[in-house]
Amino acid sequence: MGSVELGRKVVKVALAGNPNCGKTSLFNALTGAHQNVGNYPGVTVEKREGTARFGDMVMELTDLPGLYSLSSFSPEERISQDVLLKREHDVVVVVVDSTLLKRSMVLLAQVMQMGANPVLCLNMADEAALSGQKLDLELMRGLLGFPVVETVGHRGGGVAGLVDAIRSAWENPPTKSRLVLGPELDKAVAAIRPMLLGLPWPEEVHDWVATRLLVGDRDLFGKVMDVKGGREAAAEAARQRGILESTTRMDAALFVTERYFGFVDGLLREVIIRAAREDARAVSHNIDSVLVHKVAGLPIFGAVMFLIFWATFSLGRFPMEWIESGFGMLGGWLSSLWPDGSDSALRSLVVDGVVGGVGGVIVFLPNIVILFAGLALLEDTGYMARAAFLMDRWMHRFGLHGKSFLPMLTGFGCTIPGIMATRTLENERDRLVTMLVLPLMSCGARLPIWMLLIPAFFPQAWQAPILWMVYMGGVLLAFILALVLRKTILSGEEAPFVMELPPYRVPTSRAVVFKMAERSWLYMRKAGTVILGISVIMWAITSYPKMEVTEPLLERCAGVSGCVEAEAAKYSIAGRIGLAVEPVLAPLGFDWKVATGMIGAFAAKEVFVAQMGIVYSITEGEEESGVLSQALGRDYSPLVGLSLMVFLLVGTPCMATVAVTRREAGSWKWALLQFFGLTALAYLLSLTIYQIGSLLM
Amino acid sequence: MNEERTVHELSGSLEDYLETVYHLVKKYRFARVRDIADDRGVKAASVTPALKRLSDLGLVEYEKREYVLLTAEGERQALRVVARHQVLLRFFRDFLQMPDATAEKEACAMEHSLSNEGMDRLVRFLEFVTLCPAGASDFLERFHGCARVQESVASCPHPCPTTDENLTPGGIPTMGLNKIRPGSQCSVVQVNASGAVRQRLLDLGLLPGVVVQVLRAAPGGDPIWIVVQGTEMALRRKEAEAVLVTASTGSGARNG
Repeated sequence: MGSVELGRKVVKVALAGNPNCGKTSLFNALTGAHQNVGNYPGVTVEKREGTARFGDMVMELTDLPGLYSLSSFSPEERISQDVLLKREHDVVVVVVDSTLLKRSMVLLAQVMQMGANPVLCLNMADEAALSGQKLDLELMRGLLGFPVVETVGHRGGGVAGLVDAIRSAWENPPTKSRLVLGPELDKAVAAIRPMLLGLPWPEEVHDWVATRLLVGDRDLFGKVMDVKGGREAAAEAARQRGILESTTRMDAALFVTERYFGFVDGLLREVIIRAAREDARAVSHNIDSVLVHKVAGLPIFGAVMFLIFWATFSLGRFPMEWIESGFGMLGGWLSSLWPDGSDSALRSLVVDGVVGGVGGVIVFLPNIVILFAGLALLEDTGYMARAAFLMDRWMHRFGLHGKSFLPMLTGFGCTIPGIMATRTLENERDRLVTMLVLPLMSCGARLPIWMLLIPAFFPQAWQAPILWMVYMGGVLLAFILALVLRKTILSGEEAPFVMELPPYRVPTSRAVVFKMAERSWLYMRKAGTVILGISVIMWAITSYPKMEVTEPLLERCAGVSGCVEAEAAKYSIAGRIGLAVEPVLAPLGFDWKVATGMIGAFAAKEVFVAQMGIVYSITEGEEESGVLSQALGRDYSPLVGLSLMVFLLVGTPCMATVAVTRREAGSWKWALLQFFGLTALAYLLSLTIYQIGSLLM
Repeated sequence: MNEERTVHELSGSLEDYLETVYHLVKKYRFARVRDIADDRGVKAASVTPALKRLSDLGLVEYEKREYVLLTAEGERQALRVVARHQVLLRFFRDFLQMPDATAEKEACAMEHSLSNEGMDRLVRFLEFVTLCPAGASDFLERFHGCARVQESVASCPHPCPTTDENLTPGGIPTMGLNKIRPGSQCSVVQVNASGAVRQRLLDLGLLPGVVVQVLRAAPGGDPIWIVVQGTEMALRRKEAEAVLVTASTGSGARNG
């Protein structure tokens, strides 16, 4: 077991536990900043790994996703089962919520049945002690035959004891399992076991595999059927299941689950010296009688949301300005490194491409930090689950989940944090649907576009209602699209809404800051990698090839400010792409100028305004949007304006959205589907509007 | 069609005797009256008339007092009976997934009452299900997913019909958990959901016999908020409907 590296012993440890059991806090307390967060390949399930050194022991920790049992219904469960079946870990720490011992120890029974080398970690021991619960830990260790420790994860309490326990479990693995599941199950398992010899699982997990086959675990059945000799094993399991079910008069899944509970019950009856008081959750219940009140609940939720968004966008404004001016100064300083009037390509690349592009993304960092601090607070106090409880009825009608509400609301600020907030959703399909429709929520970066286009095409009195309709239209489309996705590519068994409602807890600043810092860092890293790359490309296609400024051109442009820039824009790759796609966009009423602006909008939505400014030869300082607005109003009909607004609302999510969706969904497939799907939808909508509108006029 | 009549003339009990003789002959090369009696669980005295009748029909040689042998015709008839038995046993055990002992009993009871034609059709059907390459085996697997005692299960693509909606096997009146008024208690009788929902409910401790308290409903009535064995959770009404409960939390109930 384990390997030796430079005189240090490497111990591989997996952490398993229910959602809300404080497992991640423990993981953070053990590893500190030495961790690596990613996704399991191809799924939205978070993969969290880290290392920690304790004396001569190096721990390689894997934080398994939160789960209630090791079946394979959810991706989280399937992944955890797969990880544990490989038996790569020397020790498996089962973290349980001490205030909910009965339910959370079912997972321990399953880990024991997998033949793992377990350590039981009774987390939230402080809360349990406060509720009056008292356990005989010594007896528990004796009965289980492996280390049992108490911890207070979110304060880092008991971590030293946990490390010792892991060490001792690693040095002295238990010789035999103390798991007792009853004669009926033992008999069935014993009959299936011999059939498993020769199948690609180590013998230690055969009890587990046999039990899963017995209850008809679809995933494992599939795996068994694929290997030689597997059919016989599956057939035997089916037979044993029949026998078990007719002798126990219960279906196998229920029987097996009851046996786990039975084992835990029996154990707890022995070790509980004093049970928790009945009213242990009284405080939580009192808070709930207000916060999820039939009448007051929704308005309170609205107020909480408002507070968070107010903080995000108004408190965030100041640091945003600092960042903007900081990047402005950085750009200025960098460009001063070159001689005055130089048209060095490198200067333009650094100043306009890199600093401009990355700065445009990092400028949202304050919003993200504040928003995520708020969301972490909501999550850690337990209010998030209540919000989902309150909102589910409405969200469910559109195939969404109660918890989808928050990310979607966040999307009004910025799509990126909205997509990142979908992590709070447990179910993969819910997460994907929410992510895919999120760009339809009109984000803050699109506001400048509406501010440009609406006055250009609509009379004063209409402007506010139109703006409202743009936002509502986005929401409506998002819901319809969610429903359509649910009925088509993301159909299948409906995700159950069986959501645990943990008691209210006082969040620790440590946990909140950690969560916030982690997500902000993910965002920053994105800005430094993918977005940097795309920014450079965007810069290149809008500045190259360079047009030679000739005499005839200067003559033509005499007296018209910005005319040269406009011609240069037309000459650039972006301009040429605009010209090339003009025939495709013509049925929507768009010309090459609009198309070029849209390429800018891909970089970041608000760039559309700047890009239109360039092609319309409007230089800065000339009351930008006012003049541009008039120019647009002159060149295009209100119908084109409407068609354009619909296209910008629905189509071409920005590059940061594409990059983040790719990251969060775990594959390019979904990011590309989102991009091209929404763009196609936008095309159809704009086409319909423009063509029908043209017929009517 | 002469043979058919011969077979029909054999009563169920005679067929059983013939079968027993066949098995004993297979095993020991001859059968003794005492062994036949032991095997059938009857007195030796009642074996004799049966053997005499079989002998009259020309199916066994029962010359000496002790030893019984099969005639060629007797062996043919016995083989038919045995084959029928095997087919029926397979049907009950492998197709309908009954435990060995029960399947054996059912096969014994049925083998005599089926006509030759009925048997023939059944055999053809079973052969079709086993051998027909496309679809049939899948259909059988799916059936196995559904043919479960009491409750529908994970592998069944559609929830299977269960017992009477409002009555449990014990005759206790039940209703969906969705019908329980917020603020009151009930106890779980059966979790009828399937697949992921069911497993999640079970994992969270919603087991038959457990007391459930309905705390409140969300604005608009859905979802509901319940407490089970100390765990508080939200459940949509649709899912709650599949949890059959009984309002009485009396004797049989188990408290968390």
